[in-house]
Order: sequence, then C-alpha cells, then structure tokens
Amino acid sequence: MRQRDKTQALLFLSLCAFTAVNLTPVIWGVLTSIKHPVDAFSVPPKLIFAPTFEFHWQVWVEKAFWHYLINSVVISVATVVTSVSIGTMAAYGFSRMRNQASRGLLFGLLAMRMFPHILLAIPFFVLAKSLGLINTYPAMILALVAINQPFTIWLMRSFFVDVPHELYEAAAIDGCSAWQVFARVALPVVRPGLWVTALFSLLLAYNEFLFALVLTGPDTKTLPVAIAEYGGEDINYWSLSAAAAVGIMLPIVACMMALQRHLVRGLALGAIKG
Amino acid sequence: MLYPLGYAIWLSLYNYDIGSGARDFIGLGNYLALLVDPRFWDTLNRTILIVLAAVGLEFCVGLLVAYGLYRLTFGVRTLNLLMFLPSIVTPVVAALFLRWIFIGRWGLLSAALISLGIFPPDFLGNPTWARITVVLADAWQFTPFMILVLYAGLNTVDQSQIEAAQIDGAGVWMLLFRIMLPSIRPLIIFVLAIRLMDAFRFFDTIYVLTSGGPGTATETITLYTYALAFRLLQIGKASALGVLTLLVTAALIALMIRLIYRRERGAF
Repeated sequence: MRQRDKTQALLFLSLCAFTAVNLTPVIWGVLTSIKHPVDAFSVPPKLIFAPTFEFHWQVWVEKAFWHYLINSVVISVATVVTSVSIGTMAAYGFSRMRNQASRGLLFGLLAMRMFPHILLAIPFFVLAKSLGLINTYPAMILALVAINQPFTIWLMRSFFVDVPHELYEAAAIDGCSAWQVFARVALPVVRPGLWVTALFSLLLAYNEFLFALVLTGPDTKTLPVAIAEYGGEDINYWSLSAAAAVGIMLPIVACMMALQRHLVRGLALGAIKG
Repeated sequence: MLYPLGYAIWLSLYNYDIGSGARDFIGLGNYLALLVDPRFWDTLNRTILIVLAAVGLEFCVGLLVAYGLYRLTFGVRTLNLLMFLPSIVTPVVAALFLRWIFIGRWGLLSAALISLGIFPPDFLGNPTWARITVVLADAWQFTPFMILVLYAGLNTVDQSQIEAAQIDGAGVWMLLFRIMLPSIRPLIIFVLAIRLMDAFRFFDTIYVLTSGGPGTATETITLYTYALAFRLLQIGKASALGVLTLLVTAALIALMIRLIYRRERGAF
C-alpha cells in the first residue's frame, strides 16, 4: 500500500510539472501584459514587479481594439446562428435516414475536413472580389459557415443518434407530423447538445485566421487579424499586444469552462462511436 | 463546399493575374511549372519533415501523459482542464505567447539561459532552430488534444482484460503496449490521421511566429500557397499548388492506413 501511494504521488508531481511547463507561455503572456516595459525587458526575467492594468485599458479603448471585438462578435454570432440551424436540420435528417446514400454523403462531409483551407480561401477570395464583397460581413460569414458545416453536422448527429427510436415512434402514433416530431420531440431532447455545438462553432469562428486575413478589410477585421497585424511602431508594443492577447483569450477560457465535460466528444467526434 | 473546390480546380488551369484581371487558359501549365520548381519540392519536403516530427512528438508525449493520467487516481479532471488550455486558445494568440518565449534576447527562454550564463541560439533567426521551434510550437498546441483523445480511449479498454493480464503478472508497460494499445488501434489511426491532415494545413502559428523565415527555412506548403496567391497574385498557380497539396495529403493518409493494415495482417 505504501509503495502504491508513493507511485501515485510521484505520478501526480510529474504530471503537475508537465502542466506547469505547458502553461508557462500563457502565464508569461499574462505577466507581460501587466508589467511596465522596464520590467518586461529585464534580464534575468523579473517575477516580482508592480502590476499595472494601464495597457489593457490603452489597447482596448485608446487603440480601438473594441472595434475589432465588435467585428469578431458580429461575424462569430452570425456564423453560429446560420451554421447551427442548418446543421441541426441536416444532422436530424442524417440520423433518421440510415441508407447507403446518406452514409456516403456523411463520409463525404468528413473528407472535407481534410481540405487544405488555403485551397478554399483562393476561390472564396476571387468570388468575393468579383462580387465586391471583400471587407463586408456576409463574405466572411458565408465562408465560415461553409467550413464549419461538416463539423456541426457530425457533432449534432452524434447527439441525435443517442435519442431512442421509440420516442419518435410514440410521437408519430400520437399524430405528430414529421416537422412536429423534429421541433417538439427531437429538439428539446438534444437541447444540451445544441448548446455544446453552438459553443464549439463559436470557438471555431472566433479563432479563425486564414479566411479572416484574406476576406476582411479595415472595417471588418477580426481580433486575430488585428493582433497579428498590430505593428511594432509603438514603444509600449510588447505590453500592449500582450494585453490584447490576454483579452482575446478570456472569452475562450470562459467557453472552455462551460464545455469541459464535452471536450472529448467535440474534438474526437465520431472516434468513439463511429 | 464542392463549388469552391471545383472553382479552384478550374482556376488552376488558367494563368490568372488578379491585379490586371488578365486570364488565359494554359491547361496543365501551372502544374508543370510547379513540378519543375525547386522551391515547390523544397517546401514539400520541409512540410513533410515538420509535420512528421510534430505529429510524432505529439503522439509520444500525448500517449505518455494520457497513460499517466489513466493511472492517476485523483485530480485528473483539474489537470486535464489546465493542460487543455493551449489547444483552445486562438492560434494567433498562442503563437504570440510563444514568440515572447522564444524571441532573441528578451524572450523568457533566452533571458533565462543568459542569466544562467549560457549564450542562447537565436531560436527564430537560425534556420535549424527556427524549424525546431515551429515543431515545438505545433506540439505545444496540439499535444493536449492527443492527450484528451488517447485518455478517453484508454478508458474504454475492457476492464476484465486488464485484470486478467495483471493476474498473469503483466507489468505497467507490458499492460500498455500489449493490451491497451492494440485494443484502441482504430482510435489511434483516427487521431493520427486527423492530426496529419491538420498539421499539413498548419498556417496561423507559423505565419505569426516566423512568416516562413528566416529566408524560407520554415516555409510550409500552405505558406507558399498563401504567398503565391496573395503576395505574388498568381491565383492560377496558387490554386494548382492547393490541389497538389490535397492530393499529397490524401496519398499520405492512404499510405498510412495501408501500412497499418499490412502490419496487422503480418502479426496474425
């Protein structure tokens, strides 16, 4: 028994060490964001310093990062609403049809996951340019919906498949139309799954960089593009961009807390239940 | 999704300059030009090298940590959650965090080494180190994903089988390699395939970390495509490169699945 406890403690400590190393860059970023530049550039690195939140204020308010935040929010929310509502209906259809053709379509969707995004970014760019949609919200939203769709459908399908078949049959016997079975029976049952899917596609949309870089302009720039392009002309550049980076990260941390029980399903979807 | 793909293939057959709008049909000319372009082969080799190194590292570390978590009897959920953070942070932001670790002189790593009296290499400026840094960056971001999936997989292994092996005197490592790994083989293939695909189109982090530099030392195929399309404005050639990337990825994955199945057949 003693031996066992010792192994457990050792294991725990080494895993803690791994986690600590893993989190170092994030912690360092947070520290940089509340340091004065003098402290940030010191060698050896300073761990004790007078914290300041001045740069957080500066970057979000004075450097107008709030503007990019609005862009990010508009684009992500519109993407989620569109792709989840289409995806849910498609997923419901897939979960009730179990024939060869729909299986083929499902795997076709999965195959789209492996497309190099850059290959899709080029035609999207050319199309948007010829339609004059560069630097508008719709171009970005449409592109994001298109790349999110396979994911939403697969994830929602994994929730619908869990619904017992008897429930549908009972509803049909009680005289529900096909639409009522979907709206009144299936949807309420999978509501938690709906939230999980929405949050995941929110994350995907919020984090997306390549399409945002190509399709947005000065008026519609999202946060990732804004921070990547944020120039080094400012003397406080380090502290400012660290503050912006930390601010961008906060909503994600909140999302993660909300999603913790579902992370595996969201990420490995289809892996455990083919 | 199919429409843009078709459009991309169609574009790849043209010599299309988006600046002037000139567009001539040149058939497979773009593909031929790429196939004799040494930069294409360099980028392809480099990409494959970086991808294999990163995914290999992720899998080994991921498996080790996942198995550690599996054997641990307490605090697993908190640790798992904390470990997972790097995977979910916006890739651009994650890359910035890493930049502050690796950048010359002021970065945490360099500063720490200097204060220990070691002169650090320029992690982002030296071609070899830059490649290592990029691999580490990818590993940092995606190992947690491996851990999470493999940990979930290990938990699905039949408990009675494990007990039987323990009674037969199997050690900790024997248990892992002889009993648990074979029984989650499909999951392993799946997660490796997913990671390979994603690593192949790895863009955000490299773009922010090194932009392919120094020179072209860390330029992957996606970055090259991006440069062709949006810097040099050769839309046709860039589309052709994108189609080639798709073919290479598909071939790589098909090869991997074949290899794994063959080994399985050999074992019986």
